[in-house]
Amino acid sequence: MEQVVANGLYLGAQYALVALGLTLIFGLMNVLNFAHGQMYVLGGFITYAVYGQLGLPFVVAVIASGITLAIIGGFMERFLFRTVIRRSHREESTMLLAAATAFFFDAVILLIFGEKQRGVPKIVKGVFNDFGIILPYDRILVGLLAGAIILGFILFMKYTKPGRAMRALAQDRMAAQLMGVEVNRYTMIGFALGAMLAGFVGGLLATITGINSGIGGPISIKAFMMIMIGGAGVVSGAIAGGFILGMMESVGLTVLRQYGDVTYLVIFAALMVFLSIRPNGLMGKPWG
Amino acid sequence: MAQILNFANVDLYYERVYALKNVSLTVNEGETVALIGANGAGKSSILRAITGLRKIKSGEIHYDGRRIDGASPAELVRQGIAMVPEGRHVFPYMTVKDNLLMGAFTRSDKAGIARSLDMVLTRFPRLKERYSQAAGTMSGGEQQMMVIGRALMAKPRLLLLDEPSLGVAPKLVQDIARSIVAINRDERVSVLLVEQNSRMALRISHRAYALATGSIALSGASADLLKDDRVKSLYLGGDL
Repeated sequence: MEQVVANGLYLGAQYALVALGLTLIFGLMNVLNFAHGQMYVLGGFITYAVYGQLGLPFVVAVIASGITLAIIGGFMERFLFRTVIRRSHREESTMLLAAATAFFFDAVILLIFGEKQRGVPKIVKGVFNDFGIILPYDRILVGLLAGAIILGFILFMKYTKPGRAMRALAQDRMAAQLMGVEVNRYTMIGFALGAMLAGFVGGLLATITGINSGIGGPISIKAFMMIMIGGAGVVSGAIAGGFILGMMESVGLTVLRQYGDVTYLVIFAALMVFLSIRPNGLMGKPWG
Repeated sequence: MAQILNFANVDLYYERVYALKNVSLTVNEGETVALIGANGAGKSSILRAITGLRKIKSGEIHYDGRRIDGASPAELVRQGIAMVPEGRHVFPYMTVKDNLLMGAFTRSDKAGIARSLDMVLTRFPRLKERYSQAAGTMSGGEQQMMVIGRALMAKPRLLLLDEPSLGVAPKLVQDIARSIVAINRDERVSVLLVEQNSRMALRISHRAYALATGSIALSGASADLLKDDRVKSLYLGGDL
């Protein structure tokens, strides 16, 4: 039991970070970023290259993942999404654009890093074994780092000027404009920040599960599930969704083990029932 | 008195339909000017043109001697134009405090912001009681007070108010009207007020313009317009 909860918390922290980035971009721009999973994969490969290949410290590698993705995200907003949003008022246009970027990233990752599953050396050795919990120390460390980043993100959104500006933009675009918030600037910062979070998680998880070019799509789908559970565009919803999915996965893998690989089948079925009862998710806004 | 706003010969179109045709008006320093007229007459379009939310097709807008048409909303806030939009547009999930601080987004003088916050909370004591509450959970009247306070946090010299009495309980309309008068008098803010409640607007303003289908039909001192027969029948519903 303790084991299941510990696994769930560890997974949930990672998932929540992925969902936070996705929900931030959605809340600011009304864009469903289908390329979010690919951003995660890119972050993983950058940590693989910097830590695994070049041998620089792990922390440096994760920061490099985050910063590279932030830059890529900023460029994506500035040159792709902003252009399309200015010219087209149809939501399908940005959805198509996001899907296309996802395929593009998949191809680029495959070209640069190949199709092999890549791992990196363990960041810390040893296993925690007490209170009925068996958890390798590297998982604990990665879980704590993810928790620290989540906390940092919340504080940033709550107490800094750019954070307030982005919350204002997400809640009422026109009013934010009237307060003097430069829409273009803060939308770009938001997109970069969302991408950076994906890069961080990719880097963190590369040390645990390794990384391969094919998992971008599945990660995107998981991220969408999380924000469906929590409610799209809401920070607390993304965190809740991440931890709920992490916990369900952890419970499912334990309880349903004897039936084979059915955890996600059950989760999807449960999600369908849940959404038919609460279509806006746990904390979703009724209008979006 | 010096002109703070000169809105000259402005045409404004939504797609191909015109909303304003050759509209000219002025606001002098220290004045409260009302824009009255039916739904769709173009009152709100004038405010949107001033704040840069809508681009004008022709004409010129001058504020404080400078030409401002084409400037971004952010730039205009910095220059001292604040707008309270129709339908309030509070940030629903932010506290009253954060909403008010958003009003001072373009300012960086900490002491000045604290003074403005103090002034707003003194003027609207109700906001003090609701200080840490999410703005979306307040009543319409309270939200209206808050967005007026939020606009004042920018320390504006020209305050644009779009339908401040809309969706507000009748009892509170009086309060809001009184605070507009007080703000205009005490804070040395010129006010351009758009209102469907024409009677209220004419009572609290110095001058007024009456709009009909995108053009100015009448203008003059508000006290005179209140007695004008055409205004009475068209905008005040006959009985006064």
